[in-house]
Amino acid sequence: MSEPVLKVENINVYYGSIHAIKGISFEVYEGEIVTLIGANGAGKSTTLNTISGLLHPSTGSVSFLGESLAKVPPHKIVERGLAQVPEGRRVFAQMTVQENLEMGAYTQNSGLNEDLEKVYTLFPRLKERMHQIAGTLSGGEQQMLAMGRALMSRPKLLMLDEPSMGLAPILVEQIFDIIADLHRTGATILLVEQNAQMALSIASRGYVMETGKIVTTGTGEELLASEAVRKAYLGG
Amino acid sequence: MIFLNYFISGISLGSIYAIIALGYTMVYGIAKMLNFAHGDVIMVGGYVCFYAVSRYGLNPFLGVAVAMLLCTILGIIVERLAYKPLRQAPSLAVLITAIGMSYFLQNTALLLWSSNPKVFPSIIGRGAFKLFDGALSVSHVTVLTIATCLVIMVVLSLFIGKTRLGKAMRACSEDKGAAQLMGINVNATISMTFAIGSGLAAIAGALLCSAYPTLMPTTGALPGIKAFTAAVFGGIGSVPGAFLGGLMLGVIEIFAKAYISSQLSDAVVFAVLIVVLLVKPAGLLGRMTQEKV
Repeated sequence: MSEPVLKVENINVYYGSIHAIKGISFEVYEGEIVTLIGANGAGKSTTLNTISGLLHPSTGSVSFLGESLAKVPPHKIVERGLAQVPEGRRVFAQMTVQENLEMGAYTQNSGLNEDLEKVYTLFPRLKERMHQIAGTLSGGEQQMLAMGRALMSRPKLLMLDEPSMGLAPILVEQIFDIIADLHRTGATILLVEQNAQMALSIASRGYVMETGKIVTTGTGEELLASEAVRKAYLGG
Repeated sequence: MIFLNYFISGISLGSIYAIIALGYTMVYGIAKMLNFAHGDVIMVGGYVCFYAVSRYGLNPFLGVAVAMLLCTILGIIVERLAYKPLRQAPSLAVLITAIGMSYFLQNTALLLWSSNPKVFPSIIGRGAFKLFDGALSVSHVTVLTIATCLVIMVVLSLFIGKTRLGKAMRACSEDKGAAQLMGINVNATISMTFAIGSGLAAIAGALLCSAYPTLMPTTGALPGIKAFTAAVFGGIGSVPGAFLGGLMLGVIEIFAKAYISSQLSDAVVFAVLIVVLLVKPAGLLGRMTQEKV
């Protein structure tokens, strides 16, 4: 295989004295959906925030498109094509839908209208509500907005943190359909989920995290079939 | 007619409070800190303008421009040296630092410019418009102050509402982490906010000293506190709130001076503030932010 888009090598992350990430390594290759699954507190979001540059590993390295991100501030990481849809969506609640999308395109100097059009085609619901204040959207719509907002930066790697969190099952399916669609159109995706069943069913490969470590890895099917994963995450 | 006269003076004083309050409210909105040194930036603006005009013979408006430039730089330096290192610190530490910075600026001014009051030359003379056969007299400074406040209000609202940078400021004020994930340079945006606030403080300084010509190192302190009150009154973090709060505070203060007692005017102002906060804890236009669980 060629050079990975994202390469995480043996990173250790601390919150004060708490050792949150204990030497994990993984890669994401172009065109893949890779999922990190694991229970609450396994260190999944911490991993994403470290990749985004919001947290810093005490040892180990993160490289994106062959370059180290060690000294790169978070806003420059976005500029390089690495976007994150944060846990809990975190849309700008007092700004309109359209303004939220414009913020997503903050690093882009041109092509705003075409990008908006693309996102509105992908999420027609957002177009209907473009002048509405984001805080008044439903949870599912906010998740769509958060994803659309991240896509506005034309990412080469899209990282999604718990997109199913707090959504009704039918909406979860809808969101996962969209993720699968994005993947079919060539997007490279790193998906963090507690909903292991859903995540593994669309993932090319998966890593299972437990208390800051990666304990198992394999293709989506392998992990779905694995006895250990089944016991731990899929309810027997 | 006397009533109208008082009302116009109130609006004029309130305009100055409003311009200062903007600095407090914008910085609070974005950096979530109370910059108690803000009032002293007004004083620095006043001195710079004073020296530019009386010592170097600059055109007064040019003097204000120089003061704006230097105060903007001062604001950025203060933020960089004193507040930026405390970005992750508890808010009490930042608050105390801001109070310390306030004393630092006052004492530096004392050292540089001595405690002797300077008589500030008004930036547009001491003339007045006479209306209704002289029954109503409105000084040029008053008109200029109110007009400046209106212009700032319109320009700033457009800037925050429509421009890319203005929207980035709003995004930072809502959620700094999410703003970073959009590729917004949060530190640069905070610096920008301090720069704008301090530039406005310089304008406020020139207008304040034109209306009340005594300039001393402590000149900025009381108007600073009043403007902070105005910002809280209107709802801290809200730009329209700062305008409304500033104007109302000015009018209440002048009316209290005129109709109640000039000694008690400040007490009346703060009494009104307390009543407003009892009824609307977030201020007139403030939003109650709910802690999400």
